[in-house]
Amino acid sequence: MRVLIVEDDREVARNIAKMLRECGHVADAAHDGEDGLALAREGAFDVLIVDRMMPRRDGLSMISALREEGDKTPVLILSALGEVDDRVEGLKAGGDDYLVKPYAPSELIARVDALARRRNPDAVKTRLEVGDLEMDLLARTVKRGGEAVLLQPREFRLLEFLMRNAGQVVTRTMLLEKVWDYHFDPQTNVIDVHISRLRAKIDKPFSTSMLHTVRGAGYRLQP
Amino acid sequence: MTQPAGHIWRLPPFLRTTAFRLTLLSAGLFALSSFVILALVYAATVGASMNRADTAIAAEIAQIEARYAAGGAAGANRYIVQRSVGGGEFLYLFLDADQRRLSGNISGLPAAPADAQGRLRFVYDRAPADGADGGAARNARGQIAALASGHRVFVGMDVEEEARFVSNTLNAVLFASALALGLGIISGAVVSRRFSRRLDAINAAARAIKAGRLETRAPRTHTGDDLDELSSNFNAMLDRVEHLMQRMRTAGDSIAHDLRLPLTRLRGRLEGALIDSDDAEAREAALQRAISDVDELLRTFNAVMSLARLQAGERRRAFETLDITALLGDVAELYEPVCEETGLEFACDCPDGLTLLGDRELIAQAVANILDNAVKYTPGGGAVVLRGRRTGAGALEISVTDTGPGIPMEYRARVLERFVRLEKSRSLPGVGLGLSLVQAIAEVHGASLTLDDGPGAVDGHGPGLRIALTFPPGED
Repeated sequence: MRVLIVEDDREVARNIAKMLRECGHVADAAHDGEDGLALAREGAFDVLIVDRMMPRRDGLSMISALREEGDKTPVLILSALGEVDDRVEGLKAGGDDYLVKPYAPSELIARVDALARRRNPDAVKTRLEVGDLEMDLLARTVKRGGEAVLLQPREFRLLEFLMRNAGQVVTRTMLLEKVWDYHFDPQTNVIDVHISRLRAKIDKPFSTSMLHTVRGAGYRLQP
Repeated sequence: MTQPAGHIWRLPPFLRTTAFRLTLLSAGLFALSSFVILALVYAATVGASMNRADTAIAAEIAQIEARYAAGGAAGANRYIVQRSVGGGEFLYLFLDADQRRLSGNISGLPAAPADAQGRLRFVYDRAPADGADGGAARNARGQIAALASGHRVFVGMDVEEEARFVSNTLNAVLFASALALGLGIISGAVVSRRFSRRLDAINAAARAIKAGRLETRAPRTHTGDDLDELSSNFNAMLDRVEHLMQRMRTAGDSIAHDLRLPLTRLRGRLEGALIDSDDAEAREAALQRAISDVDELLRTFNAVMSLARLQAGERRRAFETLDITALLGDVAELYEPVCEETGLEFACDCPDGLTLLGDRELIAQAVANILDNAVKYTPGGGAVVLRGRRTGAGALEISVTDTGPGIPMEYRARVLERFVRLEKSRSLPGVGLGLSLVQAIAEVHGASLTLDDGPGAVDGHGPGLRIALTFPPGED
């Protein structure tokens, strides 16, 4: 996967590029909005990581310009501005996800992965399958190895998100944002508890476990 | 109104003020309008009296013409003599075809030229016998009429009184206009001087603040007038700015204070990992701990930032009508498993249809923070209840009651302060910002936050805590 990092702080850009390469991706960097726009226009990237405040052209205007040209490459906005209003502004300008600085590197990688997968949207799918785990989005039923698993509505959405991002690290913050639509930090381990309840339903009765905890980062669902 | 700038800058400052210009303008308009009004009055009174004189003269000439028609020159002469001697208000002169004076009470025709109708205005000397005004030149109007066979008759009328009234009126009009203008200028100067002095004081305060003397305030007269209100608003704004700056400074200090310790710890841990670099397992463990330290730091940092922003009042824009019943249900759903996990009984009790004007994210965060605390401090086997209700007074109250240790009365105010964690809780995770954040969220919504005894309290002590957010009625 090719990722373009548009970030005026060269060290931050270098670190992100290094992490992406370690995960097997190809990363390029631009250090201001104009260069970023020029590179992005070549259209060879799967995901763009764009800082908001940059010299020559700010991130939001760069994204708007791309979107006006019909470019649909997923964009992750990086910003020190983290209030809900700022996020809304970023998403309105055409960003697909928003990460507030300072952030944990694992969070960034997880979000980039999730965005990259959005290029081939499986939103229209009515069935999700990961290993022997099946989810029917219309009937709202879940089966593992042919056996029905009964889930609460929220557990269903939690599993759906994990299945859509199967094989990828999903962080607690991402889950809180995408499944519960909250953008704050609960002090207690609420997400862990929900995951462990889900785990009890989809993993415990079976010989192999699919829902793994990634230390220091989050969770990964894989066969 | 536009004058070369060179003239204006030499005026004293108070004459350059808006107040002075406005006063001058209104004085000018007043003078002009009084002039117009008095001119109208003049036309109506003086003009009318002149018309009356002309009408009377014309009537008298008609009389004479009638006598002339009936009795010839002798008849007219008799009438004129009678009238002249009678001492009426008219002046008469009867001339024959050769322009010789036949009779009348004046010696000759006035020198003034007559108009097409034979009317004329003239000045004559009244006979000294007349008394008081003897010998004085008096204004009069008259008309000459030609009779048949070349006789001519002149009838005049003294209009000195009217003329005097005219000139008096005219003088009064001009004097009044000039006086209005003069008084306007003086009062404008006085008013604007007062005004400009007070404005100067406010400007001086603004300049002082610009120069960095932030404690400066605009002077107040406490008269409640508009300038006083300006000063008062100006000062209130400065108080607010100062307060915000104070808070930002405190936030900075708090961040520095609260981050220094974990950063030092983190540094030590990383250094230790470097020293133990032979032991891969120990190194990995140290790095893992370092990562969770950093996560904790990030969390503190974010909490401090959102608290600072909240307190700076940046977040009123996102207000919308919220379904509180649904919101509490959502948060309850998030926390119910946590309570079960830690062996707490949990209940959410909220009637349908509770609404509130507010910010969903913030209220959810406030409730989540309160629940976080309840879960953290209530020992297993206890109970936590989240409740939403309308009070009798129509206020909306969201409360969380737990059966934990509670907070002693004397500490209740303190726990709302930033970073305050009661000694007993030091061993539990968290940064001590939870309740201050709830407090700030309450403030943004105009709500009040109260801490109370829980259900198990005996004489105001002991187990349990009830935290309530009360939103005033009319907010939804």
